[in-house]
Amino acid sequence: MADVVLFEFLHAEMVAELGARDTDPGPGGQKRSLSVLEGTGFRVGQALGERLPRETFREELDVLKFLCRDLWVAVFQKQMDGLCTNHQGTYILQDNSFPLLIPMALGLQYLEDAPKFLAFTCGLLRGTLRTLGFQSLVTSSVATLPACKFQVEIRKS
Amino acid sequence: MTVHNLYLFDRNGVCLHYSEWHRKKQAGIPKEEEYKLMYGMLFSIRSFVSKMSPLDMKDGFLAFQTSRYKLHYYETPTGIKVVMNTDLGVGPIRDVLHHIYSALYVELVVKNPLCPLGQTVQSELFRCRLDSYVRSLPFFSARAG
Repeated sequence: MADVVLFEFLHAEMVAELGARDTDPGPGGQKRSLSVLEGTGFRVGQALGERLPRETFREELDVLKFLCRDLWVAVFQKQMDGLCTNHQGTYILQDNSFPLLIPMALGLQYLEDAPKFLAFTCGLLRGTLRTLGFQSLVTSSVATLPACKFQVEIRKS
Repeated sequence: MTVHNLYLFDRNGVCLHYSEWHRKKQAGIPKEEEYKLMYGMLFSIRSFVSKMSPLDMKDGFLAFQTSRYKLHYYETPTGIKVVMNTDLGVGPIRDVLHHIYSALYVELVVKNPLCPLGQTVQSELFRCRLDSYVRSLPFFSARAG
């Protein structure tokens, strides 16, 4: 498997390249550029959902557990730190030291720039869920670096 | 034993970082001037040492000492220079200087996409980690020596 740092540097460049596009005069500049990143993550997540070894899932929660364990280990070499749910299709996945944020800061410095670095990962989760048969909406939030939360809303079709 | 201060220069002579712990005597010139003076001297020593050496060198300039302090120098192939002043009792500390480069500068500055390279480092995490690492060194304390 390729060295972790290759992905980290490539990811940083994708964010820099697509984050810079927000100077475009088009409507909703920043949002659109992040949606490209999110879309890239979605495609990668779809493929990972297909590729990663797994047994069949009995229920929705098993799928979310799979994201927290296997997917996270495959991408970030660690497990997610917490998983909460309201049992109505909304899940909060918490990572207390998200690898892409660790080198940046411990606290509030660079907080404004942090969301850009989560868009790809949001797509990653959404893409994997899609492959496993769930339509979802994934958003992220950061209160203090390097901890972050991903909120997954499963859409009932 | 003591650690006086620490400079980090890049290959163009930009002072990436400066920290100070025990420095009783200040240079009496603005810091910007001091960085230039320091870099100029290091640059001269490098060329002096390479010309004066009667044999081919591997590491080049390593350290010098005066009656009161010792300057340790470490340079990477990319031109990053880690310079630490300590008192005379401190032996070779190449591993320490290399640690500052590899575990702190590379991990927290190079790997931080929000830190522009070739400029003074603004990352608080880097400063904080560097400070606590140097304070944890066995030869840091001023009392022990």
